[in-house]
Amino acid sequence: MVTKRLLEVAEKTVQLALKHKVDQVQAAVFFTDSALTRYANSQIHQNVASKKGGVLIKAVIGKKVGTLRINSLEDKQIEDATTKVVKIAKVTPPNKDFKSLPEPSKWTPIKGVFDKKTAECTPDFRAEKVKDAIDTALSKSRLVKAVAGSFSTDSFAFAVANSLGVSAWAEISATSLQTTVISQSKGSLGYGSAEQHSRRIKDIDPLKVSSEATEKSVKSLNPKKIPIGEYTVVLSPRAAATLFMFLGYIGFSATSYQDGQSFVKYNLGKKVFDEKLDLKDDPKDAKTLYSFPVDGEGVPKKKMQLIEKGKVSAKSICHDSFTAGKEKGMKSTGHALPPIFGFYGRPMPFNVLVASESSSVEEMVQETKHGIFVTRFHYTNPVEPTKAILTGLTRDGTFLIEKGEITKPVMNLRYTDSMLSALKAIPMIGKEVEIVEEIPTPAMKLEKLRFTGITQY
Amino acid sequence: MFLTTAPIYTLLNSIDRLYALKGEKRRMSLDLERKGLDEAIKAGASYADIRIGEILDEHLTVKNGVPEEVNLLQTKGFGIRVMAKGAWGFAASIDLTNKEVMEIARKAVAIAKASAKTKKKAATLKKASAKKAKYSTPMKKDPFKIPLEEKMRALTDAERILAKQSPLIKVSYAFFRSLQEKKLFMSTEGAEIQQQINWGGGGILAVAIKNGEVQRRSYPSSFRGNFATSGYEFFESLKLAQHAKQVGKEAVQLLEAEKCPSTTTDLIITGDQLALQIHESCGHPTELDRALGMEADYAGTSFLTPDKLSKLRYGSKNVNIVADATVRGGLGTFGYDDEGTPAKKIYLVNEGMFVGYQSSRETAASLKLKESSGGMRADSPMALPLIRMTNINLLPSDWKAEEVLKDTREGILMQTNRSWSIDDRRLNFQFGTEIGWKIKNGSREKMIKNPTYTGITPEFWGSCDAVSKDDWMMWGTPNCGKGVPGQVMYVGHGCGTARFRKTKVGLIQ
Repeated sequence: MVTKRLLEVAEKTVQLALKHKVDQVQAAVFFTDSALTRYANSQIHQNVASKKGGVLIKAVIGKKVGTLRINSLEDKQIEDATTKVVKIAKVTPPNKDFKSLPEPSKWTPIKGVFDKKTAECTPDFRAEKVKDAIDTALSKSRLVKAVAGSFSTDSFAFAVANSLGVSAWAEISATSLQTTVISQSKGSLGYGSAEQHSRRIKDIDPLKVSSEATEKSVKSLNPKKIPIGEYTVVLSPRAAATLFMFLGYIGFSATSYQDGQSFVKYNLGKKVFDEKLDLKDDPKDAKTLYSFPVDGEGVPKKKMQLIEKGKVSAKSICHDSFTAGKEKGMKSTGHALPPIFGFYGRPMPFNVLVASESSSVEEMVQETKHGIFVTRFHYTNPVEPTKAILTGLTRDGTFLIEKGEITKPVMNLRYTDSMLSALKAIPMIGKEVEIVEEIPTPAMKLEKLRFTGITQY
Repeated sequence: MFLTTAPIYTLLNSIDRLYALKGEKRRMSLDLERKGLDEAIKAGASYADIRIGEILDEHLTVKNGVPEEVNLLQTKGFGIRVMAKGAWGFAASIDLTNKEVMEIARKAVAIAKASAKTKKKAATLKKASAKKAKYSTPMKKDPFKIPLEEKMRALTDAERILAKQSPLIKVSYAFFRSLQEKKLFMSTEGAEIQQQINWGGGGILAVAIKNGEVQRRSYPSSFRGNFATSGYEFFESLKLAQHAKQVGKEAVQLLEAEKCPSTTTDLIITGDQLALQIHESCGHPTELDRALGMEADYAGTSFLTPDKLSKLRYGSKNVNIVADATVRGGLGTFGYDDEGTPAKKIYLVNEGMFVGYQSSRETAASLKLKESSGGMRADSPMALPLIRMTNINLLPSDWKAEEVLKDTREGILMQTNRSWSIDDRRLNFQFGTEIGWKIKNGSREKMIKNPTYTGITPEFWGSCDAVSKDDWMMWGTPNCGKGVPGQVMYVGHGCGTARFRKTKVGLIQ
């Protein structure tokens, strides 16, 4: 069992560091085994596999904190690293905001989140599935010009130990298939895409993914230019997920909140969103992929209600031990990033889920007089975090809705809008939650989204 | 297996030690890499290359008077890229042992053979002469030999000045980063290239907040400052503390400034923002893998398709853009790319015409180009090289920055990036900057906040009528993302100040 060995390494690292007379020490050890088969122009063009691992060590002397990460699991390298991290801590100025590494807390593993078949998937299996995806698209329409995408299989494991007695671990598997289909007709190019994510490879269905992408691609040919302005929008789960991913990123980290750069800080207790909107962060929900029971400090991950009936509160804020230590009576909510994500950055919700309601996408379209259907957003970025203003573009299937029907493809549009405004009126939320990588989300209809620009395709 | 220690091979194959070893031991060290390549050939590869590397990456941040980040990242590993049955395979590991190198070589070949199942056209490489060479970034002071206390003191001094400018400055930062990469590239064609790349830099950031409104000012640029291939002397040259007072004051002044008007006007962009404009609207669309559809599933394609090469007017005659991996200090400067092609300078846009692509040996062969532009780079030895920007530079013309301002009757000047977004074919873009000024009759009339502008790439560059020379410098972008799995590359952009006529500004009100 990989996690058992990782925990041994973590505990040994802590003991090695303690020999240097530090006050506290933490070691987070990780191992990832990833493979990804990528295709473009209807053939595999990149096909990679890598095994990575390492140790993230934090040494504390008084209020001096040094951190070192080595991407190696060799004994000698780890031993050298413990010496080096203590040297770093010794010469680091004191951090008056640092209180302590976390004390141990009771936690329980999450069952059924590691699938051996996914972790051990072969390149031949991935190639066969990719071939299915490509062949399906090409067989669906003679207008298909090229099929692109990627098929990944991963296993992630980490273990954390600290000198106060923390001892925790986690292991998951994950797989995803993404397909983009480009079609061509008389000088016009159409784009469509679809994707599927799971922790079990048996769930991946290239025929379904490819069929959906192909249908969108062919329907996207010869898009029309429409005036920019405010439109009612029906967002696919994938498009909605992008908005909520950024909302989670800019709003609910304690670092942003404490710095005054989160919209949550200025809207405590207010109904800033539609009352149907319910957003939580829960690693134990079956639909979230990164189902780690503990965070990167070995603290049990707490289920968080980020948005409840459209309201945000101080209870929505995600903490690690450092940010919790800055507030009287606050404890870590278990949101330090796991070491597989790199250095400890700011605490973040990474098991965000949007609650479903009762509508179907067909009903959302039928009840829209004039609007736009969005398959996917591209290159979204925050413009102003305290107002939750985002900008980005539509991509891979943008359609006009007229009198309750999808009537024609439209050229891709740029939106620039405050989510505090766009998510204020959500007339309908879908009944099916789709796993879209980080954010399992249903489709939803927004009363209005402000489009500020248009592309030429 | 990955957790075990194999001291003998570890000793033999640490790239760090490779530099220090002499004679027999060094030959033994190189032998292992050759064995890996031989193993790949034995398993059925028609071509193979191996990259072994070691990266030291130091991040220091002082925030609100305390050291928020004192981090050192050490990465070591290797990757083997092979071609078999006309298709590609790549495998990598952190475990630098004889057994693992052989296993990874066989795995890469097995992956390539799986890739061949969908092969429609065999991959080919543009011929290149195999080099035996060495390259090191020129530097005076090794940043990893500078005491940590000294680096932290420089940050603390600058951050303290920022913070004391006003109680409205709620968050103040000072950043330092230094990266050293030692790498060895060998191929079955006989290449044997050792390189040591050093880059680093830093910056400061003040965040002023009043009544829920956030304004920020950075120096010398956003994204934690400016960075260059250099030693510690580049960080020293930034003189962060000397600029902290002005940066702090501007962040506070922005809270009371007028909003950027929503209008169409002449736009002057200073180098720190223009660098990102070049990056997004010229750098990415001239990557030949994008133009050939190889990034269609993720970052997208390019409006600069091969049929437009040497035919499309990209910009006005004032627009000359090169990819130049040889310019001293550029963040994308090196000796050889990660498939052994020597660093070079090529034109992408010449007097406004689209004339060139950034390419690899494979894509150059695909488009029957004369040679690779030398743009294949990976962000670690365990990552597959992709076509990445080197230094994408807008060449200067005869204007002085002050003359561009004086020559503008009415317009807006924007400085320092705050937000960015561009479509998947790199046509429709929108940028926001930290600060702007209304220009009237050739001078800065008043400061404006929340400036944004938008445009369509060839129309925008077509409206460029002035490019300055006197403030031309290299800007480093250390956070360029691309590829699946994602990689983050460090690239450079040389530019001064430029003016664009009749640009739409003020997108957020």
